[in-house]
This record gives sequence, structure tokens and C-alpha cells, in this order.
Amino acid sequence: MVKYIIKRLLLLVPVIIGVSMLVFLVMHMFTTDPAATILGQHAKQDQILALREQLGLNKPIYVQYWDFLRGILHGNLGDSLMTKTPVWNEIMARFPATIELALAAIIFASIFGIIMGVISAIKQNSIVDYICMVISLLGVSMPIFWLGLIFILVFAVQLQWFPVSGRIDIGLEPIRITGLYLIDSLATGNMPAFFSALKHLIMPAVALGSASTAIIARMTRSTMLEVVRQDYIRTARAKGLLERPIIFGHALKNALIPIITVIGLQLGTLLGGAVLTETVFSWPGVGKYVVDAILVTDYPVVQGTVMMMAVIFVLVNLLVDIIYAFIDPRIKYS
Amino acid sequence: MKRKYLAIMLTGVFVLSAVLTGCGSSSTTATKTATPKTIIFSQGADPRGLDPAFVDDGESAKVMCNIYEGLIKYKDGSTEIEPSLATDWTISPDGKEYTFNLRKNVKFQDGTPFNADAVVFNVERQIPPKATDDMPYASFTYGPVVKIEKISDLSVKFTLKSKYTPFLANLAMTLAAPVLSPTAVAKYKGKLMENPVGTGPYTFVSWDKNQSLKLKKNDTYWGVKPKADNVVFKFTKENSVRASDLIAGGTDIIDGVDPNDIAKLESSNMKVYKADGMNINYMAFNCSRAPFNDPKLREAISHAINRDELVKYLYQGYASVANSPLPSFIPGYDKTVQPYNYDVAKAKQLLKDAGKSDLKIKIITYSNPRPYNSVGGQKLAEAVQNYLAKIGVTATIDSYNWTDYKTKVANGEGDLFFYGWTGDNGDADNFLSLFDSNEIKSTLNSAKYSNPAVDALLVKGRALANGEERNKVYKELQEIVSKDAAWLPISHSQVLAAYSPKVTGFSVHPTGSVFFSGVDK
Repeated sequence: MVKYIIKRLLLLVPVIIGVSMLVFLVMHMFTTDPAATILGQHAKQDQILALREQLGLNKPIYVQYWDFLRGILHGNLGDSLMTKTPVWNEIMARFPATIELALAAIIFASIFGIIMGVISAIKQNSIVDYICMVISLLGVSMPIFWLGLIFILVFAVQLQWFPVSGRIDIGLEPIRITGLYLIDSLATGNMPAFFSALKHLIMPAVALGSASTAIIARMTRSTMLEVVRQDYIRTARAKGLLERPIIFGHALKNALIPIITVIGLQLGTLLGGAVLTETVFSWPGVGKYVVDAILVTDYPVVQGTVMMMAVIFVLVNLLVDIIYAFIDPRIKYS
Repeated sequence: MKRKYLAIMLTGVFVLSAVLTGCGSSSTTATKTATPKTIIFSQGADPRGLDPAFVDDGESAKVMCNIYEGLIKYKDGSTEIEPSLATDWTISPDGKEYTFNLRKNVKFQDGTPFNADAVVFNVERQIPPKATDDMPYASFTYGPVVKIEKISDLSVKFTLKSKYTPFLANLAMTLAAPVLSPTAVAKYKGKLMENPVGTGPYTFVSWDKNQSLKLKKNDTYWGVKPKADNVVFKFTKENSVRASDLIAGGTDIIDGVDPNDIAKLESSNMKVYKADGMNINYMAFNCSRAPFNDPKLREAISHAINRDELVKYLYQGYASVANSPLPSFIPGYDKTVQPYNYDVAKAKQLLKDAGKSDLKIKIITYSNPRPYNSVGGQKLAEAVQNYLAKIGVTATIDSYNWTDYKTKVANGEGDLFFYGWTGDNGDADNFLSLFDSNEIKSTLNSAKYSNPAVDALLVKGRALANGEERNKVYKELQEIVSKDAAWLPISHSQVLAAYSPKVTGFSVHPTGSVFFSGVDK
């Protein structure tokens, strides 16, 4: 097992090199000159050239790439061209917000997805099954951006159940321990902050989790349908076991492996793909940060964030593979 | 087993009700703990940074103008200047030496005294040899300065290369010109972008990136004390979400209102603020070659375009028709100046007289929206193409992204093209220099228009002291460029903001700044 984990971790090296090369080339070849962006409407040609020199943009591209890679090896992602602050600090300031949102979304999606999937499978071809599947079809097909705006109009403006945007009421921010507001506020016993953070989290988490809920529900339904047709389920029924223990104790447990794979993949996607949700709800996460940086060609920010996302995606997948071994004793890594 | 499920269900119900009660009570707690005088202002993005030497974006300026002050400031509602940290100034007879007397008993928010040393320090960091290449406004603001000296503890002297009156307006800008605490600059070396310390009515408290930035009242402020205790800038990217937040009571004031949201805001009793911005959206002729090196043909085309209809149709009432290159609030604006009026018959006649009745031209334009043209260059070009068809002129349109477009314009491609300008310092020279033939090389004079009389008047205007005589020069300039029709001015885009009816004293300065010291709720 340890050997397997080390092997997988070593595989991170080619992934990092591949991703870094790709993002570096894309940013440097297909975007506008950051020097011109920094200097604005009064930029004179000689001034732009001087700034390019100062930023090291006049060096051959492979030298620039090597400098960038060397920086990463030293744990230095560089400074933002626009704000002149270290990219690592900026990412770390925003990352807890992204994690909190992604975790809330995946928890919501897993609970509702599995419940919907199981119900649909048990009541296959019934009206309940159809309703669940229509809901999940809608979940997959609805653009998050649109869904987010509708949520805001209905639940924030009309019904006023939830705040329109942001992460917490201004002035209630809890003392930073982990950066996850729900956990920090509970840890410090700051209940107003906890409830404010929770109220702010619900709409974005549901909007972000909607597509994943649908995917998980459909996956659960199809695997459950497969499993309930297995011999051992028939045997269990023949033994006279009650339906509920059969479904939850035998069938669902065996159907979990593909479901966990999907949940793991979804979590990876949610961590890196919350850009639209973060934009609509003004959620101060990494997704929004990288989009803003792309718009002003802030190379170090885009490169650093994408690298970070790639590493996390790989690690989440590794974690899912490890969890397999615990759920299913038949799986052994060597 | 059943009991177990019942227990789980009951726990679920309990947790849910606890959460919901909590949600309900949290808002009451929030109102109880929040101070009564906190103004929340929502804008679309974070400031790029809070060191005025290193930024050039409006989002930064809106925050900085409440923390910092310069020697000079703009009057309310116009770009005329008045004293701020300087109480008065004298200009030497040769117009090259500006001596400022500084305000007594002023302290920076960190307790450092404001004096001549502070001013000298701030200017010197932005002029050679200390200035760096990534200071976007240093050369614009302090370009004319040869040196700065301390005369006494409360007096400084700038020496300029030549007579240059717009220099005073430069010193009122929120970019490059404000005076920062020298102690803070030394203390936060490299981190000044996040630790601003000035003399202004509000003191910086904290900045949660992508969320909010907090300021509090500066109790030791030398001027009129601000009305609100705290100002919070909230960053909400989407225009429509910002509008929803205002309606739902999550914020007090929003800027960057989408015209589509105005009906919704007004029906929810929100107040909408609308004023001309410091910009110009124009159509330019390529004056460097045929056909439009002929002023008569420029006149003909100008007669063909119904600007009132065009602006009304394209901008739906959220831009005003421009008659001069200058917005109306800039000193020197001449309200009597009018471009050639809409007259199709006259346009046709002029073309016929020039023997160009079947003129074929190429229009180039940009594809994206610009601050002065919210609908983008393509729609504007198509509208003009239609007007031209009515007088028998055939025009083709090529549209490019902004970066490529600027190169095309600089290379002189296209007979007719669209451009715009956002003012920097509110001085007439800042707009009318766009007709200076010396600026053809720098591409600021995009029309490549050259008129020695205009160049001479520009030089004269830069040397005259602010006042009626100087304004007269700019009025004369507006008449000449209007008659020569190198440009057809189209519109001034408007600043749109909205605020809750509780808020009083809110306005947006023509430069785009929002000064919060007079805002209350």
C-alpha cells in the first residue's frame, strides 16, 4: 500500500511538468502583453519595452520557463504582476473559501444524489422514479450561472431567506484558524458568525452541487438496479430478510464503489471548477481569482493557480483510490 | 429498527429547526452588533492595489481618494481645482517654478506629521532616478518636473522643464499625486499596496481579498469630519447580482449599474444616479491620406450622420450626445460649438461638388465594448454604414480585437474609424492634445490630424494660467477642430449608480471618484 502511494505520488512529477508546460505556453503565446496592460492608456512604446525587460519578458521563452520551474521547485510561485503580492499568499487566502464551498456542495450532492438514486432504483418505472430522474436531468442540463441567478431572485430578493452574495455578513468574520468559516466559528463558539456563514453557504452550495447531485443520482440508480438483480440479493430475500436491510445493508454497500469514484471525481471538479458559482455569488475563492487574472494576463497568478489545481485533482483521485481499498477488501494495491 | 429511524428523523428535525431558528436570529444579532453608521458600497472588483504610484484602475482610485489627499483637489461636480493639503501657491513669472505653502497641523493616519519632507519624499520616489518602469502615471503626472525642493518645513518648490499649467490639475488626481506617509512607505516596503496610510478622512482597516475592504473614520482628520463611522467596499462582480443585493438590503450603494436593471431598481424604490462621465466616444477620419485629407469630404460625411438618433438608439438614454471633444464640466468647454448638423441634401451636394458621389471607403472598428462605448465598436460602425448608404457612400467594415485594432489605427489602416478617450486630470489640454500633430507618432492623435494653428494654440494654453484667458484659448480650439472635422464627436457615456433611499449626500465626481465623507444614512 505504502509503495503504491509513493508510486502514485511520484507520478505527480510528470503531471506537474506537463501542466506547467501547457499553461506556460498558452499564457505566453496566446495572450496580450501584460506590460501594456499594467501601463494603461499612456503607455509609450519605450516604457513598455523597459517594463518588459524589468519583468523578464524579453528573455527567450525557454529561459523564462526554466526560471518559472526553478521557482516552483523552491516553493515560490512568483509575485502577481498586477498587485505585486506573492501568488502563494493570495491563493492561500482564497483557498479555504473554495474548499468550504466544494465540500458543502459535495456533501449536499452525495446525500441527495444517493437518496434519489436508491429511491428510483427501488421504485423503478414508478412515478417517483420518473420524478427523480426528471429532477436529475434538469440538474445536469441547467447552466449553473442561470440557476444561480434564479436562486438569487427567488430566495434572496423575493423570499429574503438567504443573503444575495458573499461569504458572511460584513463585520462577523470569525478568527482565522482553518479559514473555513463554519469550522472556525464553531471552534471559537462564535454562533452569530456560524449561522451567517451557513446562510451564505447554502445557495451557492446547492447551485454548485446541482449537477453533481444529478450525476450521482443517475450513477446510484443504475448500479443499484444492477446489484439488486444479483443472486445474493435474491438469497437474502428468500431468507426472509426485511427489504430495508437488504437495500441499505447489502445492495447499497456493494453499489458504493462506482458511486464513490463518481463522488471523488466530482469533488476534484468542484474544487477547480467553481468559477461560475464563485462569480455569480461573489464567493471569494480561487476560481474567481484565476478568471480575473486571465482577463488581465497576470501570468504568475494563472500559472500558479492552475498548477495548484492540477496537483489537488491528482491528490483527490489518489485519495479515492485509497478509500476503495478500505471499502472493498478485494481491492489490494501492490 | 423502526425506533432507530424514528430517532434519526427526530434528530434531523431538531437540527433543521435549530439551524432555521439560528438563521432567523443571526440577522437580528447582526443588526444589533453592527454600528449604525456603516455605509456599504458595492463595486465590481477589488482594487488592483492601494499605492497610488503603482495603479491606474478606477476601482483602486475609488478607495484611495478616501484615504489619501494631494496638495490640490477638484471642486464638487467639476474639474476646477482648489487647495487641499496646500493652502495656496504661487507661480514664478517665467511659469516654471511652483511654490506651495502647506497646511499646518496635519498628521498622517499613523501619526507622522505632514510637512515638506513628506511631499518631497513622495515626488522623488516617482521621478528619475528613483522612479521605476511599472509606475503607470508617474511620467504623466511628474513628467514636467525637473526637481522638487524643500523651502521650509511647510513650503515646497517644484521646478518644471517649461511652462505647463495642466501640472496643477495633475496634482489633484488620485493616481500618482496623493501624499503618503513616508514612515508607512519605509515600514511596509513592498507591501504598501495593502497598507495605505494617508491624511484623508478615512483610515484603512482591513482588506479581505475578493470580499470586502473596510475603512473607519479618521478621528484626527484636519478638515470637515466624515459623517459615517465606517465605509465598507464590497466586491460583487456581476452587475445584476449587485442590483439584487441593493434591493435585498445587503448593500447601500452600487456602482456600474446595467441599464437593463434600472426599471427593476426604480420599481423597488431605489434611487438611480446618472451623470456624464469624463470621456468622449468619437468617429475619426484618417486625415493623413485621400480621401479624407480633404476637409470638404469630412464635412460631407459629418452632415450625413444623425447623431441624436444614433445615440438614442444605441445607448438607450444612458449616454449624452457630444458636441465638443470636451465633456461639459471641464473648464474651457464651449457650449456654442456644434459639429456639422444632420443634413442629407447638403452631404450629397458636397460629395457631388468634390466629384465623389460614388465614394467607396473602408471603416475599421473594435469588436469589444469600451468604457465610452458600452455596445462595442461593431454596432456603432454598422449604424454609421447605414447613414452613409443614404448619401450613396459604400463602406465596408473590418472589426478587430482591441489590441490588434490599436496597431491597425497606428498604422493608418482604414479611412474612417472609431475611438475614444477617458480623461485623466480633468484639464482641457488632456482632451484637446489629441489633436496635437506632435502626438501623431505616439498615436494619441489617432486621426493623424495636423494643423499648425491648433498646435500653436495648444502650446499657448499650456503656458497660460488657469482662468478666462486660458479658457478662451480652448474655446477657440474647439471651434477650429469642429470646423475642420477631424473627428465627429458622438457621445459621452454616463456614470450609472444606484443607492438606497436611506442614503444621503451621495454623488459620483466627474472623475469617477466617490468621496464618502459627506455620505450619510
